Amino acid sequence: MKTRLGTLKTYGIIYLQFIKNCFIAQMEYRTNFILGIAVEIAYLLSKLLYVVVVYKSDLHIGDIPPDGILMFVGTYTMMTGLYSGLFFTNFVRISDYVRTGELDLLMVKPISLQFMVSLRYIDLGMPIPNLAAGITMVSIGWSALGITVTAYHLFLFALYLLSALVITYCLMIIPAILSFWFVNTGGLAGIFYAIWDANNMPMPIYPRLIQRIGVYVLPFLVITNFAPLSVMERLDGGLMLWGALVPILLLVCVRLIWRKAIKNYSSASG
Amino acid sequence: MKEAIKVEQLAKSFTYYTKEVGVINSLKNLIYRKSLTKQAVKDITFSIAKGEMVAFLGPNGAGKTTTLKMLSGILHPTSGSLSVLGFKPYERKKEFKKRFAIVMGQKSQLWADLPAAESILLNRYIYQVEEQTYKRTLDELVELLDVKHVLNVQVRRLSLGERMKMELIAALIHKPELLFLDEPTIGLDVITQQRVREFLTHYNKHHKTTIILTSHYMKDVEDLCKRTLIINDGRLVFDGNLNQVHSAVNETKIVKLKFSHSVEASRLEPFGSVRQTDGFAATLEITKEQIQPISRELLDLFPIEDITIEEKPIEEVIVSLYNRTQPV
Repeated sequence: MKTRLGTLKTYGIIYLQFIKNCFIAQMEYRTNFILGIAVEIAYLLSKLLYVVVVYKSDLHIGDIPPDGILMFVGTYTMMTGLYSGLFFTNFVRISDYVRTGELDLLMVKPISLQFMVSLRYIDLGMPIPNLAAGITMVSIGWSALGITVTAYHLFLFALYLLSALVITYCLMIIPAILSFWFVNTGGLAGIFYAIWDANNMPMPIYPRLIQRIGVYVLPFLVITNFAPLSVMERLDGGLMLWGALVPILLLVCVRLIWRKAIKNYSSASG
Repeated sequence: MKEAIKVEQLAKSFTYYTKEVGVINSLKNLIYRKSLTKQAVKDITFSIAKGEMVAFLGPNGAGKTTTLKMLSGILHPTSGSLSVLGFKPYERKKEFKKRFAIVMGQKSQLWADLPAAESILLNRYIYQVEEQTYKRTLDELVELLDVKHVLNVQVRRLSLGERMKMELIAALIHKPELLFLDEPTIGLDVITQQRVREFLTHYNKHHKTTIILTSHYMKDVEDLCKRTLIINDGRLVFDGNLNQVHSAVNETKIVKLKFSHSVEASRLEPFGSVRQTDGFAATLEITKEQIQPISRELLDLFPIEDITIEEKPIEEVIVSLYNRTQPV
């Protein structure tokens, strides 16, 4: 136990170093930093048009009113911010590491290669607009629906957000890991981005079969649905348990695939 | 002397495929690809003692870097056995990784947008080096490589030589027992090459670090390593002191002549292979057994002002070794 805590501390310190290094590197290119935020704001505004349409047309999805839909869109926006800030930059580089053999120098470090490769770069600018807008939308929706702010509700929301973060990591890294076999997996990554974007509305909008697949097979729908559904008290016991278990199951699967992938690494010449 | 590395019958093969030029062939390739296998390393056997400094020489594609990558655990061997510092490298154990370092001349472990000092500090945390030890080691390395003034400069603004020195510091900050260097002087100017060589000699002497080096520069090998392993076409063709290469494989000597009057090339041809002539000077390649009688004959027959007999340049001897696929 003591050793595990020690290891966790070491990784925590290294992750802080990653954040520090990324901050210093990004501050070197101020214009790019500000432009990145501006582009993300423009992208966000286009997404917010959905919200305008939802309110104007008084759209109800199942029995979820526009204020409820706002909570889903808000959660989706927050998760997009977290994904772009914590994972995206790392995942797109993995196939390059494989193709150019850059992985060689990372592989010889005495820490987890998966940790090093998948969490080393943190984008500190891009997530700001998404996180700010996401939190605002969730707060407005939460308040408009009259959901009481209790420690239990906050805990539930945070738990399913954490679960969503782990699921995001596990699902979105899959195309990158497959590059160990197929080298270039940009096509598959494109499909995953499209599925990700299909997640910005509550899942009752989809037919039951798609919902089943999206919750149990490729659990993208858990990412933005479970946190708002939990505080709206629309998640039954089975789904609540599934929402807590699925990130653990996925982490184990990704870990196993990663190990197999690394064995398959053939480096590059030179 | 204890062994740092022991390799027996080590082999590595890769699968790959070829594609003919053109769009039609690309389409064919989409449907069917013929897999081919390349044997990059073929059953090589050697051992290296602790504290030794050994060079791997060989032409491009000979299997040097593949061997180095197997020794450092980057690649899994296809067959054979290897032990490095008592570990099986391909198991990639953390304890093993803490005890060696690798520097590749064509790849960087430094963050390009940050000063090298930040990447070196990150390595301190990764290798869990005590703060006092870290400071002491950093000071020593910075002093030896004379890079104090550029430690806080963004890596992408450094010259190639300065960057390589920083790579060495980042690799040595945890005081590894074993250092792999893959073409560490590639692209560096002559003075910087010399500085890097001096540093490596000093470091090996004072820290007893085992150093394995691959290089295309003969000077690296001559200056740094008493022992050289020459690999060609995946096979080990020579293992020994570079000076022994001459006696082992070289059967000819170079005779340089200067004449007081012009001599036609055709008159020299019966005495040996004429490498170069301009009438007043000529260079001949003559077998070792014939060197005495032929020299005498040349002195008798031609208006010779000066004659020198030399060994063939080491580079040429190595090239002749590269053409071999069997051990000497």
